[in-house]
Amino acid sequence: MKLERITLENFRQYFGRERLDFAKDKQRRVTVIHGVNGAGKTSLFLAINWCLYGEGANNVGELISKEAIKLARPGERVDMSVELDFSHDGERYLVKRSRRGIRMMDGSVQIDSSDEFMMMRILWDGQAQLIKNPIGTINAILPSNVRSYYLFDGEKIDDFAKPEAAKEVKDAIYLIFKLETLDRARRHLETAASDYRKELKNSTSGELINLLDDDERARGELRKKEDRKAEAAVEIDAARRKINDIDQHLRGIQNIKFLQQQRDRVGQDLKQRRSELEDVQYQIRDISTTSYFTILQPAIDDALQRLEEKRERGEIPSNIRRQFVQDLIAQMRCICGRPFTDGSPEHQHLLRLIDNTLPGSLEDDVLEITATLRTFSERVGRQRNDLTAQMKRRAELVDQIRDLDAETDDIGRQLKDSPLEEVSSLELQRQNFLADIDRYNIETGELTRDIEGLKEKIAHLEKRISQARKNERREKLLSIKFDLTQRAADAIKDTYQTYANDMRLRIEAKTKEIFKLLIWKESHFRDVHISQDFDLEVIDRYGRPARPELSAGERQVLSLSFITAMSRISEEEAPLVMDTPFGRLSSQPRNNITKYVPDMADQLVLLVTDEELRDQARANLESRIGYEYQLEFDPMTSCTSIVEVVRK
Amino acid sequence: MLREKLNQLFTLYDPAIQTLISEVLTLEQAYISMERPHIKEPIDQIVSRLASKELERIDEQKD
Repeated sequence: MKLERITLENFRQYFGRERLDFAKDKQRRVTVIHGVNGAGKTSLFLAINWCLYGEGANNVGELISKEAIKLARPGERVDMSVELDFSHDGERYLVKRSRRGIRMMDGSVQIDSSDEFMMMRILWDGQAQLIKNPIGTINAILPSNVRSYYLFDGEKIDDFAKPEAAKEVKDAIYLIFKLETLDRARRHLETAASDYRKELKNSTSGELINLLDDDERARGELRKKEDRKAEAAVEIDAARRKINDIDQHLRGIQNIKFLQQQRDRVGQDLKQRRSELEDVQYQIRDISTTSYFTILQPAIDDALQRLEEKRERGEIPSNIRRQFVQDLIAQMRCICGRPFTDGSPEHQHLLRLIDNTLPGSLEDDVLEITATLRTFSERVGRQRNDLTAQMKRRAELVDQIRDLDAETDDIGRQLKDSPLEEVSSLELQRQNFLADIDRYNIETGELTRDIEGLKEKIAHLEKRISQARKNERREKLLSIKFDLTQRAADAIKDTYQTYANDMRLRIEAKTKEIFKLLIWKESHFRDVHISQDFDLEVIDRYGRPARPELSAGERQVLSLSFITAMSRISEEEAPLVMDTPFGRLSSQPRNNITKYVPDMADQLVLLVTDEELRDQARANLESRIGYEYQLEFDPMTSCTSIVEVVRK
Repeated sequence: MLREKLNQLFTLYDPAIQTLISEVLTLEQAYISMERPHIKEPIDQIVSRLASKELERIDEQKD
């Protein structure tokens, strides 16, 4: 991140709009902002933080310019905002955070409930594109939890060098070098892998293979049964041909041919009767299945009887429409055409009929129900008659078939007992073939039943196989997901420690290098260590840990060395914004810092008092300053203006 | 850039692993300021997408 410009509107003592540009040249990368105590350096520092992260400003009332509130009329809106332009990775961004308030009668201000925060990416053609996830984008550029290592209060900078600061040092390294990000990624990937493993365990592994085996077996069995059924059909045909041959032969034998001819006739009759019996049985089945309503017959009869009784009592119309009776009265004419007079018995009778008839719609309903019930009753009657007739015919056919069967048996017996050996032998063979046909028919029936069962089983298996294929695909995908997440988590785990140690050692070396440049007692301090527990330590010329004995200024230099070392090693493009950095430093370290730090940061913003930056320190920075500003505080209005210092 | 440096740590791993780590790190970085980010679902989406690609690749190799 490189800051380009900040614009403040009614932010604290910055009344109206105030703007300053930041230096960002490779050579002149330092922006110096001078201000006496209370002039607004910390407010400016706060404005950068608040604009990017919206934090550190709990008392909103103090953020809005008091001058702006004072000048507003009661009920008038007061707008406060900070805009920050910056570039990162070759892209330009504009961030704006604003708050609004309404000036109340008593001079206080009622603040709107939340900030408005907006982030835009400026495209190559100058068009601004709204970023939908501004917080995520800011976190990717300069996360809020590492900002304090780049935007820091000089008076608190020595925190890292305090003896109890191991955790702060560790946190800083973890956050800046994304060790925290790596660690979180590893943990989340491990959790995901564990979830996928559980899901895999619960899935029906191997089901498809078992189903395919079942399917193969069922199809094999089906093929066998179908083959056997075809063989049985062939055997039946062969047996029938043999029987025909025998019958033919018997017809040719003079003494018994009449018996064979009789058997042929009986056979024809039997065939016909059996066919007829089949038809009759079909009819009976049909009538039985379609006459379900016959069960309503008693209820229908009862309803019709009740309607008839009511009609006889005159409670419901006797199928005479009310309109018809009214027409007769209007014409003063009987149904037979004879006229009648008013008050005559005929007239009286028609009036009584009108009185007893029901209202039109109800009358229609009653008549309609009666007609429908009668239709039902007639239909039931017809069905019952049909069924009786078919049952009777069935009984007749069964008797006829029984007689014909008996006749056939009798003929067979006569032929079998024939004194002619040839005839007897042929008849015996014929009966054996008939027995074979019966046996094959029974077998065919069993095979048909088995084949139907197998076909149903195969259809069911096909459905389950289709589902199992889908499940198998899902299982494969789940297995890959588990494999990817577990291997990724392992990869991070394997790499993490080496990377963390490498970074620690590199920061340690860089911190030592910078510390030696900045410290004024370079011969007194021999080394700087960052232990495996992230304890930042300085070793003195006696080889002893010297940190507990460091002065406030020395601690500040050690902290600054550590921060700039992290910035250098991370190679992240980020500004160093230092609020009052030299307050505790004597001239020697101050000179050293101003001499070396501009080369250690991509951009340096110094918020300083006049006292902090003078003489050699000022001379050191001279060639690196791009912009210089003076914060001019007006005691009459308590407002600050930003004035650029014109440099020669 | 630190991000590139992090990605370089995993160059010896399969490309799918490298992509997965890189995308999850980007996601984690976006939520780094939250103590308990709810990113189980977005991680699953990344993993599902990469796993589907892997499965397609395996199927193509079989064909």
